[in-house]
Amino acid sequence: MADQPVLSVCNLDVTAHLPSGDAPVLSDVSFDLATGEVLGVIGESGAGMTVLSRAIVNWLPNPLAVTKGEILFYGKNMSTMSQEEARVLRGKEIAYIGSDPTTALDPTVPIGQHLVSKLMAVSPELSKAQARQRILDLFDAVRIPSPKARFNEFPFQFSGGMMQRVMIVDALSADPTLLIADNITQPLDVTIAKQIVRLLNGLRDDFDTSIIFVSASLPMACDISQRLLVLQKGRVLEQATPQTLIDTPQTNYSRRLIEKVPRIWEVDHIPSASESQRPILSVRNAAKTYHTKDHDKVFGTQAVKAVRDVSFDILEGENFGIVGESGCGKSTLSRLLSWIEAPDRGDIFFDGKSISAMSAKEIKGLRCQFQLILQDPYTSLPAHMTITQIIGEPLIIHRLASGKALRERVAEVMQEVGLALDTGDKLPFQLSASQRQRVNIARAMVMKPRLLILDETLSSLDQLEQARLLELFDKLQAEHKFTYIFISHDLALVRRACARIGVMYLGRMVEIAENQELFFEPRHPYSRAMLSAMPTIEKNRYDAKTHLLDGEPPSPVDIPSGCSFRTRCPNAVEACKTLDPTLRTNGTTLVECHLYEVSVQETQSA
Amino acid sequence: MEKEKAHFWHTVNGRMLSTAWKRPGFKLGLFVFVFLLLMALILPALSDVSATKISVRERFLPPVLMGNANTAHLFGTDQLGRDLLLRSLVGLQNALLIGVLAVVGMFIFGAVIGIVSGYRGGLVDTILMRITDAQMSIPVVILAITILGVARPTPFSVIVVLVLAGWPTYARVARSAALSESKKEYVRAAKIIGASNLRIMARHIAPNILPPIAFIGVLDVARMMIFEAIFGFIGIGIQPPTPTFGNILADGTKYLINAWWITVIPGLFLFAALLSLNSIGNALEKARNDVFGGHS
Repeated sequence: MADQPVLSVCNLDVTAHLPSGDAPVLSDVSFDLATGEVLGVIGESGAGMTVLSRAIVNWLPNPLAVTKGEILFYGKNMSTMSQEEARVLRGKEIAYIGSDPTTALDPTVPIGQHLVSKLMAVSPELSKAQARQRILDLFDAVRIPSPKARFNEFPFQFSGGMMQRVMIVDALSADPTLLIADNITQPLDVTIAKQIVRLLNGLRDDFDTSIIFVSASLPMACDISQRLLVLQKGRVLEQATPQTLIDTPQTNYSRRLIEKVPRIWEVDHIPSASESQRPILSVRNAAKTYHTKDHDKVFGTQAVKAVRDVSFDILEGENFGIVGESGCGKSTLSRLLSWIEAPDRGDIFFDGKSISAMSAKEIKGLRCQFQLILQDPYTSLPAHMTITQIIGEPLIIHRLASGKALRERVAEVMQEVGLALDTGDKLPFQLSASQRQRVNIARAMVMKPRLLILDETLSSLDQLEQARLLELFDKLQAEHKFTYIFISHDLALVRRACARIGVMYLGRMVEIAENQELFFEPRHPYSRAMLSAMPTIEKNRYDAKTHLLDGEPPSPVDIPSGCSFRTRCPNAVEACKTLDPTLRTNGTTLVECHLYEVSVQETQSA
Repeated sequence: MEKEKAHFWHTVNGRMLSTAWKRPGFKLGLFVFVFLLLMALILPALSDVSATKISVRERFLPPVLMGNANTAHLFGTDQLGRDLLLRSLVGLQNALLIGVLAVVGMFIFGAVIGIVSGYRGGLVDTILMRITDAQMSIPVVILAITILGVARPTPFSVIVVLVLAGWPTYARVARSAALSESKKEYVRAAKIIGASNLRIMARHIAPNILPPIAFIGVLDVARMMIFEAIFGFIGIGIQPPTPTFGNILADGTKYLINAWWITVIPGLFLFAALLSLNSIGNALEKARNDVFGGHS
């Protein structure tokens, strides 16, 4: 049995039978998969990766159908198998995990019940108690904390990362010999994605499961796979080990894929620090707490501490980056910075003037000076207005121009951001994502602001467009002396775009450092953990084994006492439990960590 | 200008209209309605027969099709010898005037309350919505008897009663749409560029949520016409001698056995008008479901 491949796919063709004629989706795909092997399948979206993984489990939706070739599972041909046989095989031997875990389960049924009924369906010999025990063991194996309590919780109580673990438990409960992971890390934060990959690796070692890991992210696939399959437009271009593929790619397509992966450490150009030392925006002890209904009590609310005591300065003309994972308070901070919401405590100073002390009229005037550009290019533009109307609206609101002057100013700005003039009469739905993002930028720029806050503005765009817009930002900065704040979860982006970077964790700024410092000598354990989790094809300077964290960030409703990071910190000491660290500086870098304080004191006394 | 048109058919409203146009019910309804409307507007003005002039010699004339030789009264006459066709058409004029103005009134009033309530939220929302609830709990006919019994029933007061009774529904629908709309990114974007609340409500939220509600308003015109007829029937509508569907029908019921056409002729006009309006409204609502159903 051992030398027979678990799965062999020979000359597989999948065709879409469309009314307009047959269109090939996969053509001539062949590969073998050995026991305990991990095969990575990579390519761009639309390359047929999901179709391939669905074809293997005999689960192709209409109008797709296998037209040629065969899929052999331990020598049995699956494409000619009856639906019934395939169904049994799919539940028992082959497991499939999709990319959207949050909608995979019935929201009205507790998680545990889902898993137990699935397990009992595939292994009828088990009693209910045995099945329950097995699921609980697996919860433990995939590191779901307090498995007994979570067993009875409902899907909506699980985060994306936890849900993906549940799906893995669901897949593993039947002890499959083949696991197909279709883009499972896509919706997750990097550290969580890395944890899932690490988990899959461990499971393969423990259970000897063969895995097909489909991913659009080359570094992620390289990380886990022993062999990579490069797909383009339904054809296999290349099969190689990750190392050979990266070192000596055989096709232009693979070379392009490799080039597209952002580099973290091997960057030739990073933005230089600002010459000015004058802060344009100063945040002083800003805090924001939201009160939401507590569902465990009849009356009563719970306090979500979204931003806690954040202080930093942004210097005139610099590019400042704020990074952190979902739920760390980035978006709340962006709302505070752009003064859509006022902080509960603390204050923000623009140009040395306190914003909270200003009148509504002064704040309205101030809006011409700083602008926030939102994340989603699809929903942030009013659908019923033409592009010219959208870009011109701020001018009307602030009575800066009207009539001919307005049209001229709009045309001028459109030219500056690289929008063709004939887009002016179009509606937002007629534009591409990057054009819309340019409209957003133009709308902000039309008032000639001094500070632009970019809240994940570039994250919905692909690498190429990101690079083009970054170039545009550079050009505009040179012309208009803009100051930028990039708020992002993407370390590679801030590495390329920012001179100084602040790292956020649970509503606190845990480290503020210059670009080079942060990436080469991060002081805070969380910064190191984020770096270690970065999917990259370079050698990661920070090994995930020593730096990656377990678990997920605690809920902002109850934040751990002392240092909020201590529950996940690999080097936490006794003092971290009681004392809340403050930002300490060594001149350029600010760090919020007791361990770092100790080392500063040591160097000072030495 | 050509471009503007192309845009329009791609917007939600444009797509709704073009989808509705594809339904036969919409075209038929529109044709019948426009025909009736033109008749109601033109015929009473051109004809030398009066709708209110009493002529005792010509009373109880049956319609021409029933063997009546007097071609001046195609649809016959009533108990006082007044021409039924003209009376019905004037009645239709009144019914349409009241129906359309009442719907426009309740639409505007309800939309303003609803948008303010949904956008501002909090205490404003609570207060406005409790007022809405209170208003909704009063039955229309009771309200009408109270107000029209005290005040003189004029077209204006009938419209006021109908607006008072009808606005809460519009307020509720507008509120829920405004509530979900006000959480969208483009509203945040508008706040960032410094737009005032009034501007956000009028310029950003209203154009997005009102057109679909307005389409549904077509169905309500028919409903308001029925109410107008009910008021006339029970004697609290526009007062005689001005003909309305309600008072013609009420008079006609006395002669139902011998001169059934006095009730049937205006009844047919009312029926045709309501049917055409309903099939237009129905097609619009179906189209709305198609357009929105395709989205989510």
